Amino acid sequence: MRIRITMAMLVVLGFAGVSAAKDTKAVFKTAEAKHFTGAEGVELTPAFYDYFYAELRSELTKSKLVSEVIGEGEAVDDADAEKSVVITGTVTEYKKGSAVKSALIGFGAGLRSLKMDADVVRRSDKQNLSVFHVHVKVDPRWNEKTMAKFAAQQISKDMKKEFGEKK
Amino acid sequence: MRITGKLAGNVVLATALFAFHARAVADEPKPKPENTVSVHLAEPVAPQKFEHAPKFWITETVDRSGNPQPMLVLKSRGGIFLDRQPTVIVRETLEESLKSGNLLAADSNSADLVIRVYLFHFGLAEGSGLDFFGKVEFSAIVKNPKTGETAEVKASGTSIAKGAARKKNIQKNVQEDLEESLKDAARNFLRGQQLKEAVALLWKGGDTPPGAEAKP
Repeated sequence: MRIRITMAMLVVLGFAGVSAAKDTKAVFKTAEAKHFTGAEGVELTPAFYDYFYAELRSELTKSKLVSEVIGEGEAVDDADAEKSVVITGTVTEYKKGSAVKSALIGFGAGLRSLKMDADVVRRSDKQNLSVFHVHVKVDPRWNEKTMAKFAAQQISKDMKKEFGEKK
Repeated sequence: MRITGKLAGNVVLATALFAFHARAVADEPKPKPENTVSVHLAEPVAPQKFEHAPKFWITETVDRSGNPQPMLVLKSRGGIFLDRQPTVIVRETLEESLKSGNLLAADSNSADLVIRVYLFHFGLAEGSGLDFFGKVEFSAIVKNPKTGETAEVKASGTSIAKGAARKKNIQKNVQEDLEESLKDAARNFLRGQQLKEAVALLWKGGDTPPGAEAKP
């Protein structure tokens, strides 16, 4: 009996997953993610921005919010420009954190922190569609690129929430 | 007595260094058929449409990565090697893609624009440690052989592939990652605004301005 109930639940969950996946429709034709820039005083390596750019593109592809994620500087057909967006942004604050503080005090003290603003602009008329403020905190012992991963995931999630629901 | 002691010390130190070096050399991965991947695009990248479509020819692909082992993609876990030089892979990819768009000249003499590619990065770059970060970066100098004018076009491609624990899966993921980043870089070059502007600047559909001869 238990096995039957479990199997029935699995089938129901499976169908729910399929229907949820079908609901995600591409809102934009193309999205171009640009390399983000760092504000004055932000000490991050160029490799970080490269990795973040790659992660953001990867997350946008996974989100299925856009039909095609194009590279920086790629040409877009005029017909598609109205339904295309460009994502630019700036890292406004980066704190390295302290492993000692994190270990001795805990409770979020000494964490590595990153703040960035991402602008989503329509390609055709350069109208700003939305601005996302992202704040990521990770353990100071973790690689800085882990922050890039989390930040890209956050932007993708916020975009899905903003534009996916509007649709 | 003191001299003999110093000499013995030096001999011991030299032996230790030699043993350490020999071990390091033994750990160097070697290319074998089972750890070699072939990076090749399944489908060529369709280039953008030009108003006056020129014929391109790739004269040379130069490795400017400064990597002493360009064919070694991953050093750990017995290593992963490429079956060809990255310059050859990039050249083949661009040629196939240009050919698919009917933009490849038969030879350098019949080409309207010639391209010299400088490859800055091909392979894996430092990622978060949880995944593989593939990156291909190159710069192309597009030249009109008749006028001698040139324009630079930069292109880069990136890809993120998930990490793996088993060696077989690592190899598969790395191969897919490299192919995806190569495709991305080729697309970035062939569909880029920079190439469009370079062609518009250098090629006017066969109307070479009078008196504009090739520079020596």
